[in-house]
Amino acid sequence: MSLLRRTAAPPRRRRDRRAAARSTLLAYAFMLPFLALLLLYHTWPVLFGTYLAFTEYNIISPPQFVGLKNFRELLGDAQFWSGVQNSLKYLLVVPVIQLLSIAVAMLVNRPLRSIGFFRTAYYVPVVTSFAVVGLIWTWMYQQSGPVNWVLTHLGLMQRDRSLLGNPASALYAVMFVTLWKGVGYYMVLYLAGLQSIGRELEEAAVIDGATRWQVFVNVTLPGLRPTILVCSLLSTISAVKVFEEIFVMTQGGPVGSTYTALFFTYAKAFQDFRYGYAAAAGIVIAVISLAFGIVNFRLTRGGRVDA
Amino acid sequence: MSTPTGNFNQRAAQLKARRARRMRLHNLAAYSVLVVIALIMLYPFYWTLITSLEPTGNIYEAKLLPSGLSLKNYAAVLSGTTVPFLRMVLNSVVICTVGVIGSVTFAALAAYPLAKMRFPGRDLIFYAILALVVLPNEAGLIVNYVTTIKLGLLEQRGPVWDTLTQYAAIVLPSVASIVGLFLIRQAYLGIPLELIEAARIDGAPELLIWRRIMLPLSMPTIAAFAILEFVALWNSFLWARILPLDPQMLPLSAGLLELSGTFATNSRATMAGAVLVIIPILIVFASLQRYFMKGIEGAVKG
Repeated sequence: MSLLRRTAAPPRRRRDRRAAARSTLLAYAFMLPFLALLLLYHTWPVLFGTYLAFTEYNIISPPQFVGLKNFRELLGDAQFWSGVQNSLKYLLVVPVIQLLSIAVAMLVNRPLRSIGFFRTAYYVPVVTSFAVVGLIWTWMYQQSGPVNWVLTHLGLMQRDRSLLGNPASALYAVMFVTLWKGVGYYMVLYLAGLQSIGRELEEAAVIDGATRWQVFVNVTLPGLRPTILVCSLLSTISAVKVFEEIFVMTQGGPVGSTYTALFFTYAKAFQDFRYGYAAAAGIVIAVISLAFGIVNFRLTRGGRVDA
Repeated sequence: MSTPTGNFNQRAAQLKARRARRMRLHNLAAYSVLVVIALIMLYPFYWTLITSLEPTGNIYEAKLLPSGLSLKNYAAVLSGTTVPFLRMVLNSVVICTVGVIGSVTFAALAAYPLAKMRFPGRDLIFYAILALVVLPNEAGLIVNYVTTIKLGLLEQRGPVWDTLTQYAAIVLPSVASIVGLFLIRQAYLGIPLELIEAARIDGAPELLIWRRIMLPLSMPTIAAFAILEFVALWNSFLWARILPLDPQMLPLSAGLLELSGTFATNSRATMAGAVLVIIPILIVFASLQRYFMKGIEGAVKG
């Protein structure tokens, strides 16, 4: 096509070129509103945020370039590193939530009656705002509340204590909420993965005399590998960047036991008004979560089905 | 009867019965696990609902039934003496409507050239958008805050203008949805090019082709994305909480946190508020969940 066009007569060529220019213009017109907002609210924050990390900035006066000062200060900031530590502890959620979601997905993948109800029920926490979920669990965790009732009656706890108010347990209490809210989300993804494997392969393995466990390890799990990659990547990144739960439930307390890395950037920016310093912390967090993303990608072998 | 076939039939029936029994047992086990998980997932909601209906009593106690029934907590929330709850409902409805229409329209428009037109810079733009997903955006909140202030969206200029600009401040950052662009582009790619070529030869302008061919044929994807976007907007609270907004302008989820602050001594009222925030999203979700699940699955397979 393009070859033909190039050998055409000059007047025709000019008209073609004008038509091409018009259609290019049209293509950009179609994308204009989207690209404008994308530049303003997605691209600009990456660029300007990176620049801010090398400045002192409080919005009122223009940013003052300070070189690596923010990063040097971060190195010695115990509060930041304890935040990073808490964020890394939060990674404990990842394997637990993945295993649970796979188990639940296999459970609801059975052709049972009213299975649709259960799938929907497990998804209700997912579609509920963290503003609501966080408040509900703050109440559930009260010293005399339902969680304590269950734990003491199961013999898991000797006497009532406030799980969220106790520095030893607060982070784990918040982690449980993340787990509870997230299982339904990953369940749906794994369900999609399971259904793409299809029953034929598993049934063929059963006919060949494989046990349930063998089928799971040799057929189901390899078939799920692409889904496992996506899901563990998503949950690793969101665990490192956990924020909304903390914001609603504990505000980083008690005694900093739930103070996570991203909560640190929030506090620095919107409580201390040190936007440059907060941006620098944001960059360090981004690098950390990127590193974990890469490790994750390696561990799941790039999500390949074979190998 | 001891003929071989009789024996065979008998054994087959036995096997069948045993299999059925084992199946029943398996199903029973599966159902009990399913029910236990459902209880863990739903009880917190149920507990909040019944507690919000109680007039008095030991508030945080574990219970299966409310100790009394009263709507006074709901009246306290809706009367709006401390927090303008009904106004927040209106805010949420406006933000969700504008946000969903905006993000669907802009993504559906932008996806068209990226999927079905040839023009210089197409691949560059596409990969640049892709890179934005991968690139870290931790400073996003901070810079978007600065941008919103600098755009003058939160300056006082008169009641009507202020209302409009504050809505814009809340909703604009979430309108350009990269996920939406990808989903819709994926749907467009599946539409045969012949259809578009034929329309072009007939002299149909591109905008008409988009509206009459692309949009109708990718409706399932667009609907799924619209629901995802609605749920996300209804549930978002962080951005609105960070912006220095007039309390009148807060959307529901953000307003709920305001409520828990002002009703610090009356958690039951906050619980009533929480129930009121959940109900609309549950209705939307329950009635549209088929598209919704499809949208989520599509987002992964995409």
